[in-house]
Amino acid sequence: MVIRALQDTTRDQVSSAGTHHRLADAEPGPALERDVPLWLQGSDTAVAALAGRLADGWMVDLEEVGLEGLATLNEVLDHAATDAGRDAREVRRSVTLARGDAADISALVALVVDHGVSSLVLRVGTDDVTTLRTFLDDVAPAIREGAERALPQGALSSRPVRRADARARRRPGIAYNEVPEELAGTAVEPGDAAFGKVRSTYLRGGDPGLVLRPRTVAEVASAVGFAREHMHLPLGIRSGGHGISGRSTNDGGLVIDVGGLDDITVLDEAARLVRIGAGARWRDVARALQPHGWALSSGDYGGVGVGGLATAGGIGFLSRKHGLTIDHLRAVDMVLADGTVVRASATENTELFWAARGAGANFGVAVAFEFVVDEVDEVGWAQLAFQAPDPAAYLEAFGRVVADTPRETTPFLILGQGVAQLMAMVDSSDPGVIVSQLQPFAEIAPLVQQQVVIAPYAAVMNMFPETAHNGRGEPVSRSAFTREITPGFASASADLIRSGASHWYQIRTVGGAVADIAPDATAYTHRDANFALAVMGSNAQRLDRWFEPVRRHASGLYLSFESDRHPDRIADAFPPATLDRLRRLKAKLDPHNLFQDNFNILPAHDHTRSAT
Amino acid sequence: MNTGTNSGTNTGASTDVTIDYGHDLLFGTFVTPTNHPVHQAVEQAVVADRAGLDLVTFQDHPYVARFHDTSTLLAYAAARTERIHLSANVTNLPLRPPAVLARAIATLDLLSGGRIELGIGAGAFWDGVAGMGGPRRGPGESIEALEEAIAIIRGVWNTGESGALSVRGQHYDVRGAKRGPAPAHPVGIWVGAYKPRILRLVGRAADGWLPSIQYLQKGLPELAEMNSHIDESAHAAGREPRDIRRFLNIGGQFAAQGRGFLQGPPSQWAEELAEVALTYGTSGFILASDDTALTQTFAAEVAPAVRELVADARGTGRHE
Ligand SMILES: Cc1cc2nc3c(=O)[nH]c(=O)nc-3n(C[C@H](O)[C@H](O)[C@H](O)COP(=O)(O)OP(=O)(O)OC[C@H]3O[C@@H](n4cnc5c(N)ncnc54)[C@H](O)[C@@H]3O)c2cc1C
Repeated sequence: MVIRALQDTTRDQVSSAGTHHRLADAEPGPALERDVPLWLQGSDTAVAALAGRLADGWMVDLEEVGLEGLATLNEVLDHAATDAGRDAREVRRSVTLARGDAADISALVALVVDHGVSSLVLRVGTDDVTTLRTFLDDVAPAIREGAERALPQGALSSRPVRRADARARRRPGIAYNEVPEELAGTAVEPGDAAFGKVRSTYLRGGDPGLVLRPRTVAEVASAVGFAREHMHLPLGIRSGGHGISGRSTNDGGLVIDVGGLDDITVLDEAARLVRIGAGARWRDVARALQPHGWALSSGDYGGVGVGGLATAGGIGFLSRKHGLTIDHLRAVDMVLADGTVVRASATENTELFWAARGAGANFGVAVAFEFVVDEVDEVGWAQLAFQAPDPAAYLEAFGRVVADTPRETTPFLILGQGVAQLMAMVDSSDPGVIVSQLQPFAEIAPLVQQQVVIAPYAAVMNMFPETAHNGRGEPVSRSAFTREITPGFASASADLIRSGASHWYQIRTVGGAVADIAPDATAYTHRDANFALAVMGSNAQRLDRWFEPVRRHASGLYLSFESDRHPDRIADAFPPATLDRLRRLKAKLDPHNLFQDNFNILPAHDHTRSAT
Repeated sequence: MNTGTNSGTNTGASTDVTIDYGHDLLFGTFVTPTNHPVHQAVEQAVVADRAGLDLVTFQDHPYVARFHDTSTLLAYAAARTERIHLSANVTNLPLRPPAVLARAIATLDLLSGGRIELGIGAGAFWDGVAGMGGPRRGPGESIEALEEAIAIIRGVWNTGESGALSVRGQHYDVRGAKRGPAPAHPVGIWVGAYKPRILRLVGRAADGWLPSIQYLQKGLPELAEMNSHIDESAHAAGREPRDIRRFLNIGGQFAAQGRGFLQGPPSQWAEELAEVALTYGTSGFILASDDTALTQTFAAEVAPAVRELVADARGTGRHE
């Protein structure tokens, strides 16, 4: 009871009042990655009964109890389990065999078939390698074969049998027992030890009913199939768990977490073509590319996942020089709502290839992306802090400086009450270039702190350590684009900052190479914007009161930074022609609207469907 | 990290009586046993090992869920490192039964080729200890228990003695326990201690003393006073003061300009630590560090410089 209590990380404190072992408001944890089964060993009825009540396994020495003893004790165990409201199958039976026992295969098969034994442990001397080899190579497969023949089909399953207390935490409406066999082993339910680590995302608290964790493309397809049977529940698609607009966790629904598909492979060294699994994090991508002298612009935070960012845009520190992340995409493999796996590129499934770059989450689960990455030597990396008592004046000056700044430099600005923090990357390892491009920024306002270093792109992506995902509540975030920082935009922003309704006001610069691409080339259309604003607060109504005036001086939004689900926001994200085209494709690929966790595009009505 | 004691101001100008127990100097780190990211503490041990430090140590707070279990962490880190010695800093006795602890330490010392030391304390944070089902001990009781534990631990390790081990104490009652295994090397029992009564225990029974600078209420000069408790008690027990190695857990940051004790360039650190070594007989400096660069600079630039300064001073007969 003490052990189980300490594993229960859903509580803040645990107590257990026993005669021999006690806990009093102890801190439970650490959270386990998987349930660690507790096996009891003993040949008397008291232990068998205790195992039946509490344990996950029971071990006994066959020599000590004999077959009859085993049968009796098994029965005691079964009764104790049923009396405790458990399924007798929750307790795995394990017997320890003497060395001679391994010779009689039919007796061993009988142990499995007649006595429900599912773990056989052979006692061998430390030098007895031959016995061990035969046991492994010949005896074990023969037992398996014999047992499979004798038992009804499917009776031997690797599907975990959950304890009654874990089953009690299941949520309604989910066919837990029908989770496909290949997903059952890695799936996480609310009663599982690993649930604490997967329930929430970086910024959002969640309580899903089932998290499926496929490890292969085929398993993703099977997970999508399972989700199709649960259209009545919310479905979240998760890669890195840094969604803001994307509800990659939910309450009582399903999550398909493709974090395990995180391979990074160079396909063509000369062409700098790299294949990246949707579950990789950008910090890992940066690390993998660095030895080649390459980088792929992503965002400002290395913990963000590839899947969510590369289906939406990717406004990063190299954007002005090298464009958005999606601008580097050459092909993407996706599992569609009907479970088929398709490849979309400039020559195959071209409409999907267009849609995947900006609205990908609506059309399927991306499993791998192929990017042409950039040659990026070490970069200049600056962190400057300013006194900014007049935010409007600071913003306007910032806007003017950016307009004259060459593409090599991509600054991100965080503006607060009285202070401005500027992070900027210069795609150059030449100190002269770095300093000359940063100097105008340094002159905007009195500097209070400055640090400029020459570092690999990967070092910037790995600046912050990985932290646990235990978001609580819902993020409140607003987004807007603007071509320039007009006096109206600046003064509305200053009011917003002074109001205290927002604790985070950040401008990422775009333009440059981002604007080299035609607006209709991808579902991300905001090519003419030079500034992407992201604002976060804690109270949506209060934030909106101050953000609406800013929005009036801006146009469009980057969906990844917008948490509002108002239908108007869809129109801000996608201009009419784009939205039309997306809706037609949605009607074709996901007519029942399975994928709706992120800026949901409703399928076009039937009469427009023929237009695709 | 630094405590802001006034110790920085009186280094260098000391006319006080100085002590030097003549030990070679040891340098190590004090790493947070955080379990997130899961391998961080182990990686920091590897960093310390590769940097050439003598010692890596971890706190032991078995009632804190965000920490690894320190005994398990020590085993894992020992397997990942090659030459560095490892120790808890310090083992929480009330949650670790001494006879089993002795065997665990011996096992790990054998497996690691003689690289394990036993930092141990009487216990603290009694709510946490009691919460986990451990005993709640008063100050006197906890020292008494520690003394019994040390007897048991030494008894288990002492395979030279024939016959079973019995230690009949107020807190631990060991009757007829089998002895052994003996560790691969003479494992040091280093006690974290501050008050006179436990300092006297250190003098009687321990191989090392392991205080942290931040708990010295009067700053570094307090070390002299504490040393004298240990020394007197050692003499009374028929031991030599130099039988007890004096460690010090320290904290600091490197900076271009000196801002205080261990807040400055490596050369400043070296002078300050050499001064501590020569004044208070401290011969083991354990730096709180979860930072690769901090650890590496400490190993590469501070440790050799302190050794040199101390050797020079000893060579010129600075200690008497
Ligand atoms: C701290 C922080 C910093 C950020 N900085 C930047 C930045 O600088 N630039 C920028 O462009 N964005 C940035 N973002 C936004 C980020 O790109 C998006 O939130 C993105 O969706 C996160 O991807 P993920 O895989 O980590 O998220 P998840 O939470 O795993 O997924 C979010 C949503 O993306 C969709 N999705 C995820 N995986 C897949 C998949 N395999 N196939 C299809 N759809 C999928 C789903 O709709 C899902 O709900 C930042 C976010 C955070 C929290």
